[in-house]
Amino acid sequence: MKREHHHLQSNLRDPSPSSMPTPPPPSSAPQPTSAAGAYSGYSIPNGTTSADGGMDELLAVVGYKVRSSDMAEVAQKLEQLEEAMGNAQDGISQLSNDTVHFNPADISNWLETMISNLDLPPPPPPPPLPQQHSVDSSSSSAAFLPQTESSTITTSMDRAFEDSSSSDYDLKAIAAKAIYTTASASADSLSPSSKRVKPSPAESSSSTRPLVLVDSQENGIRLVHTLMACAEAVHQNNLPLAEALVKQIGFLAVSQVGAMRKVATYFAEALARRIYGLYPENPIQHSFSDMLQIHFYETCPYLKFAHFTANQAILEAFQGKNRVHVIDFSMNQGMQWPALMQALALRPGGPPAFRLTGIGPPAADNSDHLQEVGWKLAQLAETIHVEFEYRGFVANSLADLDASMLELRPSETESVAVNSVFELHKLLARPGAVEKVLSVVRHIRPEIVTVVEQEANHNGPGFMDRFTESLHYYSTMFDSLEGSVNSQDKLMSEVYLGKQICNVVACEGVDRVERHETLGQWRTRFGSSGFAPVHLGSNAFKQASMLLALFAGGDGYRVEENNGCLMLGWHTRPLIATSAWQLATKSVVAH
Amino acid sequence: MHRREDMVKQEKRQRFFNINDNIDILREILKRLDGPSLGVAACVCRLWRSLATNDDSLWEHLCFRHVSAPPAASVKSVVVALGGYKRLYMVCVRPVLSRLGAESESDRRRVRRWRREEVPVAVVVQLSLSLFCIDSYERLHGNNNNPATASSGMIPSDASASSLMFLCNPINV
Repeated sequence: MKREHHHLQSNLRDPSPSSMPTPPPPSSAPQPTSAAGAYSGYSIPNGTTSADGGMDELLAVVGYKVRSSDMAEVAQKLEQLEEAMGNAQDGISQLSNDTVHFNPADISNWLETMISNLDLPPPPPPPPLPQQHSVDSSSSSAAFLPQTESSTITTSMDRAFEDSSSSDYDLKAIAAKAIYTTASASADSLSPSSKRVKPSPAESSSSTRPLVLVDSQENGIRLVHTLMACAEAVHQNNLPLAEALVKQIGFLAVSQVGAMRKVATYFAEALARRIYGLYPENPIQHSFSDMLQIHFYETCPYLKFAHFTANQAILEAFQGKNRVHVIDFSMNQGMQWPALMQALALRPGGPPAFRLTGIGPPAADNSDHLQEVGWKLAQLAETIHVEFEYRGFVANSLADLDASMLELRPSETESVAVNSVFELHKLLARPGAVEKVLSVVRHIRPEIVTVVEQEANHNGPGFMDRFTESLHYYSTMFDSLEGSVNSQDKLMSEVYLGKQICNVVACEGVDRVERHETLGQWRTRFGSSGFAPVHLGSNAFKQASMLLALFAGGDGYRVEENNGCLMLGWHTRPLIATSAWQLATKSVVAH
Repeated sequence: MHRREDMVKQEKRQRFFNINDNIDILREILKRLDGPSLGVAACVCRLWRSLATNDDSLWEHLCFRHVSAPPAASVKSVVVALGGYKRLYMVCVRPVLSRLGAESESDRRRVRRWRREEVPVAVVVQLSLSLFCIDSYERLHGNNNNPATASSGMIPSDASASSLMFLCNPINV
């Protein structure tokens, strides 16, 4: 008995996906709690129930709610079953000889074995496929099988879809579907006393291997449900439940592939941070986030789209002017400006004198990063013979700015444009900040103000709404990244987006800076601050469309025009929006 | 006897026209070739190769081939400053056109928004110039990094000029 327990424990001691500490060596006494501790691989102290209501997480993933404390009992029953099968007549004994214990963590090997050994039974099991383990060591089938026909083992499936928040303990599947086999009518006679018979798949007499099937599509649905349930639990401050659910999400996410898996992982991390109160340190290494943004720039078209459309609007506004000044609220690496300088250099009539004021947050290592960017741009300007002047401003927040600091020259000599790419939403964290910035912009009296923002409402008062919105938004974003070629760039872009997810979900108050709002909301805000919209021309539309056609996932990207603003989206979902504004008192410039 | 044969040969030679002796005509012909053909022409002999690689005006014609209005004079100085027409063609115009399916029949497999005849070449040129400028900007500074400044988040030198990576086709090694 002990030997088999060790065997059981060593089988079940799997390296779970998240890095858990190695379990203690198999203890001799098969006490329920210590067996549970050794089994699950976490160091659960004896005598305490784990936070998930005592349910074993690994089994929960595949559809069974079994208390960790009962695992030893289940193991015993399994051994009894094996014994019984060995002793029974009618050829069931072959089952006990042929069954193989699979390590549930070693899924790839197990799948290979399944596929290579599989003899399909004559009537193929109809879809949908159930979630079942048969004689795997983690199966919880605990009934004796009395004399059944050796050819088929039929099941009676009982199913109840349950949210894991119910603490109903019984060997019920969390979600499962029925499977019916053609043969025997002894299905109903199988139910033993207190426990329901766990379904085993149909076998023909020739097939010797039990079938083990995990339905990943259903796991995907369950993943989304679990995410929502966890968010709800967090919202209601039910932290133990939320903790359990977050762990489940981790397991479920592993069974997915592609974008869904990554999104789920990032959201799970953000929820975990919120639950445990581990808000990310806030100033993030500026150089690191710069590098992430560079990779994001290269991988997907969002930033390029933003730059190209904004530049087009600025170019058209500067038609005929001899001295121009651009104030950039989102300086970063200055990748927007080479293209504008080139367009200015090539415009009929020759280039104007170009002055650039770059505003950015202070660099973590005190280097004068803004000046370096300015110097690089100056070199380029010299190459293409554009008169260039640069000034860099370091500011913690745009609200700290004042029009007088910017050394504006009289508007007869110099025309000004203000540009902001993904910066304005950060001001919404502090009340009054965005109004102050807009009034400063009014004081500047610009020819045009170009604004690019994410098209989503992540600033609602309710946590659940924010969570749902951001789940949809970032799922779409990650989907659009899937087509990109360079995997390192793709990874960096995902990390970049992951930080945003973390901020939206885990932070509150002043720390939560990713307060995205929709185009409609920005329109209202600009309208009430004394700005009138400027229509982006068809040239911008054509350039943007062509740019998108060049990207690898080009068929999925869409440019839409929305009352003069351009929106870039993935399939039907708009993701970012470019808009342009001028002071309401000015007359509309004819295009 | 020999002298008469030599004279006949010389006359024959003078009657056959050698293109390599008339470089201006050669240039005119090469100007009208498309990109791949120009590349093939560069493999013919040393003279043709030096023409194809060194004479940027050949590539200029290639870039602006289908644009209806001749480009402004300022374009040339800018493009030359940013790296030359040959580079503009290789790095921007050719990938853009092939992505849009405008260059060869073999690109039909991509679903395109424009049919081959309809590609708005003026927009292609505009876009290519912008992308080219961004590329030049990156190259200008990609090699100027020393380790001290690399940590401040500038473009690392091994990834320099990668903003046009999206235009490259993946290669299976």
